[in-house]
Amino acid sequence: MSQKRLLALVGAVAIVASACGGTPASQAPASQAPGASVAPSTEPSAELADEQIIRWPLIQDPATIDPTMAQDSQSTAVLTSVQRGLVYIDKDLNLVPGLAESWDISPDAKTITFHLKDAQYSNGDPIVAADLVYSWKRLVDPRTAAPYSYVMAEVVGGQDLLDLAGAKPAATDAVVDAALEKFGVAAPDEKTFVVTLAFPATYFLSVATMWVTVPIQEKWITSEGATETGNYVASGPFTVESWDHNAQIVLKPNPNWYGEKPTLTEIQMPIFAELAEAQRAYEADEVDSVYPIPDEDIARIKDDPAFADQYSVIPTLGIAHYDYNNGVDPSGEGKLARCPDEKTCPTVNKDFRIALTQAIDKQAFIDATFSGIGTVANSFVMPGLPGYDETIDPYPFDLTAAKASMDKALASIGYASAADIPALKFGFNTGAGHEPRVAFLAEAWNQAFGLKTEQIGSEFSVFLTQRTAGEYDIARDAWGADYPHANNQLSGNFTCGGGNNNSQYCNPAFDALLLEAASEPDATKQADLYKQAGKILADDAADLPLLYRDFATVVKTWVDGEIVTPIDHNNPGDKFAETIKILKH
Amino acid sequence: MITYLARRILWIIPVLFAVSIITFVLMHAVPGGPWDAEKRLPAGVQARLNAEYGLDKPLYEQYIQWAGAFVTGDLGPSYRSRDRRVNDIVADGIATTVQLGVMAFTLSVVVGIPLGIFAALGHNRWPDYLSTSVSIIGIATPSFVLAILLVVLFAVELGWFPTGGWKGPQYWVLPTVALAGFPIAVIARYTRASMLEVTRKDYIRTAQSKGLGNTSVVSRHMIRNALIPVVTILGPTLAFLVTGSFIIETIFSVPGIGRFYISAISTRDYSLLMAMTMLYAFAIAFLNVVVDVLYAYIDPRIRYS
Repeated sequence: MSQKRLLALVGAVAIVASACGGTPASQAPASQAPGASVAPSTEPSAELADEQIIRWPLIQDPATIDPTMAQDSQSTAVLTSVQRGLVYIDKDLNLVPGLAESWDISPDAKTITFHLKDAQYSNGDPIVAADLVYSWKRLVDPRTAAPYSYVMAEVVGGQDLLDLAGAKPAATDAVVDAALEKFGVAAPDEKTFVVTLAFPATYFLSVATMWVTVPIQEKWITSEGATETGNYVASGPFTVESWDHNAQIVLKPNPNWYGEKPTLTEIQMPIFAELAEAQRAYEADEVDSVYPIPDEDIARIKDDPAFADQYSVIPTLGIAHYDYNNGVDPSGEGKLARCPDEKTCPTVNKDFRIALTQAIDKQAFIDATFSGIGTVANSFVMPGLPGYDETIDPYPFDLTAAKASMDKALASIGYASAADIPALKFGFNTGAGHEPRVAFLAEAWNQAFGLKTEQIGSEFSVFLTQRTAGEYDIARDAWGADYPHANNQLSGNFTCGGGNNNSQYCNPAFDALLLEAASEPDATKQADLYKQAGKILADDAADLPLLYRDFATVVKTWVDGEIVTPIDHNNPGDKFAETIKILKH
Repeated sequence: MITYLARRILWIIPVLFAVSIITFVLMHAVPGGPWDAEKRLPAGVQARLNAEYGLDKPLYEQYIQWAGAFVTGDLGPSYRSRDRRVNDIVADGIATTVQLGVMAFTLSVVVGIPLGIFAALGHNRWPDYLSTSVSIIGIATPSFVLAILLVVLFAVELGWFPTGGWKGPQYWVLPTVALAGFPIAVIARYTRASMLEVTRKDYIRTAQSKGLGNTSVVSRHMIRNALIPVVTILGPTLAFLVTGSFIIETIFSVPGIGRFYISAISTRDYSLLMAMTMLYAFAIAFLNVVVDVLYAYIDPRIRYS
């Protein structure tokens, strides 16, 4: 056994040991994926293999492959090949027609009329507009309790339905049905689908690329075992041939797919319990790619010439950041109960947050704790999205400035020195590789100011509960785009009382800008409004953005023709499985 | 004997009842819930789900609801895979887990007992040292280390076996060996100790002095008597093996139910967690009864009434 293998072994052992701590493997769907690039195409003369089968690992059994209910990356990794929405993306994240041939947007930008292609499901039935009406109503129906129901908030009547979900006592069927009647979707004929929006949400076409918005046949999804082997009805290039739970999912080309027939004759998705197992299977030639490479394997793979033609780094629409506690109650109104004043919760003080931000050398952080993979982030909207502003960097790494900011903060809070501040509660989830990152930051703050932190590692669910409740002063956080638009990045994460506002942040000026941006029909003006909002966030030092995530991956050399995007799900190129070919090997 | 058996089996019921109450209370006392995710579900959706699964009711009501369904054989809906029932999840994987467990158990017995006998017969000579070294390594090596060693050596380096999966006999080899490693060592140690004790007994000396052949003494007198204590640990060992090993099933991606012991906790999949715990508790309790009955057959002095 070579020394490298032995190291791999030691790493793997550590992982399994930590796995016993138990961390859910499911990640948010698009917390993956990278900046558009196309895999180096081989010579046109390259001969195709006799067997056109790709083997893509899944990590854990998908929770569901019902498009309305899916939320994790393993579920969407299957869905992306077997279902198609009205709108799709190209490799550069531009919106392109999917099942819709074209669409018209009314002058007030509040009505979108989709004209459907002449397409069929895998069972031979035509895809009709009524299936979209059914699918969208099912998504927003409070009785469905779909995780992604909120993306329908912009449709007329959508917010009312979302509000009904939490109603006490629970809304009766009659009330829900009446609200669904008013929901702004209609099918004037078989091939026309009309969506009426409550306000000109120009980003809504991006929403129509999501897996939750695909057409669904009512007779299929309500049938017994709809998503099990032999029953699946697909609208995408592939369909589900079999699902052997916890073992393997097999996809075959959808014979009725409207587009060009895929070259692949089969997609095998063996189901692994952990990412580390998929990596070992890759090295034993049992699967064709791993994405991302497990943290503990990156250093070994990166510098191994044997992997040189297989290894690459793909940018994603994900960000790693840390929350500062801004001290607003999760309801969005009033103070957080545990933070009556700045003396108790120093992070409520803006200068204090600025000082913490200025004390971090983000590139050094990436190099030390992310194997150098990732790009320094100073604002929350990722590069490649409208609303990204590379000039935002109000508090660059500068220890002198940091000390000055800290002195200012201390004077206002009422401490003589940072060392007098009781240890800040610094929360993170264990068993997911965050320990060195948390230690890096804690050490940087300690060296810069003599500031003490209590590093609190908890099991994932416990950590999330505490973070939501605002129990930490600083907490680990991450976000991946659901759809490629600034609206998805900013609203919810930082709006007053927003569902994912883990920084307990609230700034009415910021909220007002987001509302204005959402209603702005002109794309350029809209992007500008998002930039202004992003600037407010950064100036307030609401959180500590650290890096835009890139994922390291290995792909076998015989996989060809893959189109890689920043929002791939579980394997590079899985947004476009239909373009992949297997070369002779 | 029948009365004894009936009484023992009936005693399993209060045991399971106690286990279920303790587990139920503990799992609900842990912070967090089944809908936790890095991206939080909208509050309304969470409330709706809580109502749908009865999580908004007082704990005792939830318990009564669970227990009522449990006695009719309904294990409830899975919280993580919302379109599946726990019954389906268990039914899918239990055969695989039991198969792996039985194969590992068989291997442990077939290798462990002879290894122990071999050591005892060569007491304080090389067979003993060899066997003892193997046992000590087996006991001291955690199964995940052994498993990963096997994968790296036999799957990644040599390519003799697949790294994981469960599609045919070649897939069974590594997980079975990895799972059997520890019980082999334990059984060998027990057998050796028990054999050595029996060797000094009067009846062995009697058998030898009346001129019985060595083979006959060992097989008919020593082994049979030495196995009684060994049988004691075989029950829990079998229970442990057939209810699955989280670690081995995880490392080899075996589609069994063992891995749900841990994953059900981290995903707060309450109904799955209850099902796993009850299954495990039942297996232990039941196999202990089986072991007690087996005593009667091995040791004629033991009679139940």
